[in-house]
Amino acid sequence: MPQPVVELDRVGKTYYTGDVETPVLFDLSFSIVPGEFVAIVGGSGSGKTTLLNLMGLLDRPTAGVIRVEGREVSHLDELGRARMRRDRLGFIFQFHYLLPEFTVLENALMPCRMRGREFEKSREARMRELLTYVGLEEKLNVRPPQLSGGQQQRVAVVRSLANDPAVVFADEPTGNLDSKSGRMVFDLMKRLSRESGTAFIMVTHDDNFALEADRVIRIRDGRIQAPPGRHEGTELAVAAPEA
Amino acid sequence: MTTYFIRSVAFRHLRYSVGQSLLTIGVVGISVLLIIYLRTIIGGTQTRIVQNTTGAIPHITVEPPERTPVGAWQLANLGIDPDTLYVGEVVNLPKARESIEDWRLWLPSLDGADPAVTAVSPIVTGQAFMNRGSRRQSVRLAGVIPERHNGIVEIEKSLVSGRFIGMSPGDIVLGRKLATDFGLKLRDKVRLVGPEGLTLNFTVAGIYNTGFGQVDDGQVFVTLRDGQSLLELGGSISSFGIKLADLYAAENIARRIAPGLPFKVRSWVVDNPNLFVTLASQGQTRDLILIMTTIASGFGIGSILVMVVTSKYREIGILKAMGATPGEIQSIFVLEGLLLAFLGCLAGVPLGVVLLKALAAIRSVGPDGRVGSPFLIEIDPVLLVGASLVAIVTGAIASYFPARRAGQVDPIQVIRGS
Repeated sequence: MPQPVVELDRVGKTYYTGDVETPVLFDLSFSIVPGEFVAIVGGSGSGKTTLLNLMGLLDRPTAGVIRVEGREVSHLDELGRARMRRDRLGFIFQFHYLLPEFTVLENALMPCRMRGREFEKSREARMRELLTYVGLEEKLNVRPPQLSGGQQQRVAVVRSLANDPAVVFADEPTGNLDSKSGRMVFDLMKRLSRESGTAFIMVTHDDNFALEADRVIRIRDGRIQAPPGRHEGTELAVAAPEA
Repeated sequence: MTTYFIRSVAFRHLRYSVGQSLLTIGVVGISVLLIIYLRTIIGGTQTRIVQNTTGAIPHITVEPPERTPVGAWQLANLGIDPDTLYVGEVVNLPKARESIEDWRLWLPSLDGADPAVTAVSPIVTGQAFMNRGSRRQSVRLAGVIPERHNGIVEIEKSLVSGRFIGMSPGDIVLGRKLATDFGLKLRDKVRLVGPEGLTLNFTVAGIYNTGFGQVDDGQVFVTLRDGQSLLELGGSISSFGIKLADLYAAENIARRIAPGLPFKVRSWVVDNPNLFVTLASQGQTRDLILIMTTIASGFGIGSILVMVVTSKYREIGILKAMGATPGEIQSIFVLEGLLLAFLGCLAGVPLGVVLLKALAAIRSVGPDGRVGSPFLIEIDPVLLVGASLVAIVTGAIASYFPARRAGQVDPIQVIRGS
């Protein structure tokens, strides 16, 4: 079995507001292997985005251990977590948040730009290739406001792969798109995951997309409702009805 | 330290919001221009006022000490035995002039009293009458060593005709107005009558026009020897005049050298207290305007950056999520502030110089009839650099707070869309 790209071992998260404790996640343990496409589903407030933030090193767990590519990252300081995100993780959000001052190609290369001019240059050909792959070869030098919502999200998908990450975290990447654009973006992520061997972990409300994932992790009230594993057929609908 | 990433994002922000950037650059540019303009114009005006006041007088005057009369009943307090007291009449009291007899001994030590001393001139001064034909006028007589005294008042440079440095015994140098009043020209003869009635004949060796009323009107210069003779001072002088490189240091230097001299040492400041207060208040007003201008410039940069940070909140969040550190985000906005300030300087400094040169080119007729610039303008490179530094430091300070706010943006808040 290949080394997991992400491992969670009894991870919990509690928010503290003054003397008030608000536990959000409890005792989560699972791992994700390279190339795996995982959907995290659950109702509003179930803790799925918090889970994604913990795995994406945007937040710290209050219990348990998180490992990325075998390295324990739970206790990294802010700089260490930023460097890890920059070098080994990719992100796609519901809103693309592309930088309007930069062209499509420059936006896609932005994570590389953080690592310096030479690194950016070394990744430019690959980014051109990926942008062509997603049908934006004519748009490389235009600025994001000139693109449709679906096109912008495709740029965001390519951007998430800029640093050749071990894993991409996608938080409702289709949530702000019409169904046709959403389908296009989802298919694109799946295809890229398969072809690049990059693991994708996607938070989604859309059961149709979740059903197409290699594995579904359903979160309910901060706990994994069904044991993580490859879903089969309608397991998702049976085992994890929406709250 | 900036990186390629920091520089490129900062530059793009400014280039993308070109209108906003130009507005801020304009605010900073005008601030720099104002700093340069106000300091130069007000500084020039102050210099001119001070020059007009002090140009014809020494910055420090060293005089014989004042003798205070002592009552007979006070002698015991001074340690003098009242039994040895002699009582009599002082004959011819006005003759008991205060003078410095051993001035030649003191001259070298005054020359080297302070590095700021540029000239020391032994002077005899007194009233005399100038006679020519039926015309008679009271004049202020100054007996000087021309080579030394020219360092106090630049007579040689102001000569309309003749010479001052190198004048011989029997020569007299006087102002153009006095010469005109007496119908005098070079080599004409004129007679001076001293306070005790001693009369000497002089030949006009030079006529000057310094622009200083007190020198041009009613003042005559003769050699030190002739002055001493006319005023019957023997080998004594009335005072030393000292000129300094920095006239504002006069009071401090006067206080410093006074304890080592058996004389009374007085700076021009003591003689012109109102002028000093006026200049100081003028300087304070100028500084207040400059501080306000600098603060306005800082607010200009700060407010623009606050707007930029607010409008870029989501982009900042996503950059942080992708791995930008708080320090990198902060650096982007500090760099933007510095760039705006720097570009403002690039606009403001040349504009300031052009404005000052245009003002310096204006010519008008002064009260002394001379054609000249109404403004005393000296463009000081140190001021240009200083104004730029002030603007850049202001830019850095003004950008720090919005930059810090940008660095603290929590990517999780952005992802949640809040």
